[in-house]
Amino acid sequence: MSDKTFDIVIVGAGIIGATLARELSAYALRVAVIDKASDIPSGASRANSAMIHAGYDDQPGTIKADFCPIGNRLYHELAGPLDFTLKECGSYVCGFDDDDRKHLEKLLQQGRANGVPGLEIVNGEALRRREPYASAEITHALWAPTGAIVNNFEAVLAFMDNAQQNGVELFLETTMEELLLSPDRGEVVGIATNRGRFFAPVVVNAAGVNSDLIARMAGDESFFIRPTRGEYYITDKHVGHLVKSFFFACPTPKGKGITVAPTAENNLLLGPTSTVQASRDDTSTTGPGLAEVIDGARRLVPSIPLNMAITAFSGVRANPDTKDFIVNVLDRPTGFVNAGGIKSPGFTSAPAIARHLVELMEDRFSRRISFIPDPAFVPERKHIPRFEQLPLEEKRRLAEADRRYAQIVCRCEMVTEGQVVEAIARGARTVAGVKIWTRAGAGRCQGGFCGPRVVEILARELGVPCEEITRHGGHSRYLVGKTKDYWFRGEK
Amino acid sequence: MADMQVDVAIIGAGPAGVAAGIGAREAGAKDVLVLERDWDLGGILQQCIHPGFGLHTFKEELTGPEYMHRWVVRAREAGVTFLTNSMVFKLDEDGSLWVMNPERGVFKVTAKATVLAMGCRERPLGAINVPGSRPAGIFTAGTAQRFVNMEGYMPGHRTVVLGSGDIGLIMARRLVWEGARVEGVFELMPWAGGLRRNIAQCLNDYDIPFYLSHTVTRVHGKDRLEGVSVAEVDENRQVLDGTERFIGCDCLLLAVGLIPENELSRMAGVEIHPVTGGPVLNEFYQTSRPSIFAAGNVVIVYDLADWVSQEGVAAGRNAALYAAGALKEPLRRIDIRGGANVRLFSPQYVTAGEDVTVYFRVLRPIEKRCRVFADRGLFERKHRYVRPGEMNEIRLKAEALQALPRSVTTITIDAEEV
Repeated sequence: MSDKTFDIVIVGAGIIGATLARELSAYALRVAVIDKASDIPSGASRANSAMIHAGYDDQPGTIKADFCPIGNRLYHELAGPLDFTLKECGSYVCGFDDDDRKHLEKLLQQGRANGVPGLEIVNGEALRRREPYASAEITHALWAPTGAIVNNFEAVLAFMDNAQQNGVELFLETTMEELLLSPDRGEVVGIATNRGRFFAPVVVNAAGVNSDLIARMAGDESFFIRPTRGEYYITDKHVGHLVKSFFFACPTPKGKGITVAPTAENNLLLGPTSTVQASRDDTSTTGPGLAEVIDGARRLVPSIPLNMAITAFSGVRANPDTKDFIVNVLDRPTGFVNAGGIKSPGFTSAPAIARHLVELMEDRFSRRISFIPDPAFVPERKHIPRFEQLPLEEKRRLAEADRRYAQIVCRCEMVTEGQVVEAIARGARTVAGVKIWTRAGAGRCQGGFCGPRVVEILARELGVPCEEITRHGGHSRYLVGKTKDYWFRGEK
Repeated sequence: MADMQVDVAIIGAGPAGVAAGIGAREAGAKDVLVLERDWDLGGILQQCIHPGFGLHTFKEELTGPEYMHRWVVRAREAGVTFLTNSMVFKLDEDGSLWVMNPERGVFKVTAKATVLAMGCRERPLGAINVPGSRPAGIFTAGTAQRFVNMEGYMPGHRTVVLGSGDIGLIMARRLVWEGARVEGVFELMPWAGGLRRNIAQCLNDYDIPFYLSHTVTRVHGKDRLEGVSVAEVDENRQVLDGTERFIGCDCLLLAVGLIPENELSRMAGVEIHPVTGGPVLNEFYQTSRPSIFAAGNVVIVYDLADWVSQEGVAAGRNAALYAAGALKEPLRRIDIRGGANVRLFSPQYVTAGEDVTVYFRVLRPIEKRCRVFADRGLFERKHRYVRPGEMNEIRLKAEALQALPRSVTTITIDAEEV
């Protein structure tokens, strides 16, 4: 493992690491991003509601309240140039009684103070004229037209892909083991990982659910993460028409509660629960959790059918004990930056946090690194063609130009071989990686049809045997060997 | 690639589609095109290398590939055209198809009549609400079957099978043949999902434990599957306290149901029956879109490929007649109604134009002498038993239907103890 030298090392390639990497890639800086997962996004950026919040939830004066509406605006601005899917669906917070009504008023005032545009409270009838499947019990709802949905996989990939095009290097399956400090322990000189040392005068902690552990390495004990599990269901697209907008109930002290939302691809997303747990990486679902999701979702939209779930998943939120994001530069050791404890609305706030961090670093580290704009910076990129969404004539043209775009791989999401090959060329190494890039296996049969085909294409493109292909890295081999191996090896 | 015009287009070259091609040609259609998305013909039977096919059609026991080979030879002799690697990705309301094929690109097929023969797909883990982690090593039985029988790879060393659908039973035996261990087959219901003969030949003959009224309650393992929790359930399918236990395994196969694959049908606005999940049909295999016909597992999941082929021939014949403007006009409409012990059936209505077989499954088994019948004396047959895992037939004569008073608009079918 050879040592490497950079100007900035970012620990964690979630939405914070990706948006920051992309901001930094506009400068003539050598930037590395490391992540312990085999595919990005992993962690909370992979498993969340994919909601781009309008920004009325947070108390004025908090970092969240400042960043959320700006982040919302940036997503709207960047969806085009960075080519990720953003759906301007708007959101409703639903109230069921007078207490809720008061709460909606409070959110309305708070939102206006935070600079959120277009907020209004509508009554139940007005809501149901637009959303006929909304519960008849809902008496009032706060409408936020700027609430939006993204494809969160695509968004993280888009920022990181663009950063990589502009020279940022991404190191996967790379775990930070130690913060390297100067002999007097006053300055950051880099990090040690399972894949060698990365020397850099600036290290950014964007480690999500592990951000408190990374902060500890720098002697910062100012915050703790309480890993908080959120469980979700995704339904078949057949029932995607049940809601047009994102539906919240009035929040409780535990969080924003169970929501019902369309996904960027017109499934329904139901969830999340909110359960504090000891483990930082246990993303199991539970019987009670999933039952809570269904109950909560049906309170908002009673006609959601039970048999239309295609999968369930859970994510672990980086829930800090500070009630607010931890975005700061440590005084000592010099060169250590925190962007930790970024829970909801963290995904929304990320692009704003990234810009703020760059300003902070420019201000504080001008003697350690120089922020010279890179004239070669390209601010846009294209995603892999989304074959399913192309008009017929464009499908035809694409298939004419490259016949691999006329070979089906995933029938549910209509993903072609051309897309899978392109995903591998851009860095997908596992079956999950291909799914994140292309949606192959994300549909109603959950990879039953495309699984064998994706494994075969991965093996062919990577030049390895099929048995070495993993589901999601680590020891997650998809297959355990060839048939007849028992006989050849004489085992039983 | 230039667009194509044909008399009858058929989607899928499994047992239904290949037979529909023959039926269409035999009924006089000139250009009959079968589109298949896989690289070879035969549909799912390509991977069904066990025997048990063809007893009805050929009076001998064949493997799936042998059975389909005979049908494909017959179809080629009959002048049916096949296109493989051809995915139909869009079906218009008039039955026109949009196809993608790596040699030919994207093109449109205009057809005077279309036969849906897309078959069915397997219910995945996410659809059955088993909590836990999502490690590698969880497959639907059919996906595992493709890996083992066609690609030559093993899905795991120690396997638990959830559900007792036929593919699960056959794969349990198949994995034992390959030297792997099968810890057991666990079925939620108090009766088997698959055929009795498969319980005997695939499980009993190999001492594979079979647990009725059991389910998998949790999946364990982060990267690769490490085990599952299983438990007994009561008559309401609720887990019985104290019965949960852990079974170490690196592979979980799911045989928990098949779903007719009707995404294209929905796209074309074909009416889908809420219980069968397949198109609503009459005795001509005609859907709610008059130029679109359907046969096989896309309509209702059959037990035997022989029946699917038989239905396919008839659907193809009617599609050809429709294409030629020669399909009989409906005389009347009589809806079929399922009685107390009927879970699902097809066709949903008849027009008294042709003799028809109504296929149906019971809700609950009757393990004693019983009768399968249609009311008004239209049909009755005695059976030694009826079981949810085995399809029943009711044959209705067109003449008898025509003779019913005009006031009769429904017929009830059912199975009951004698």
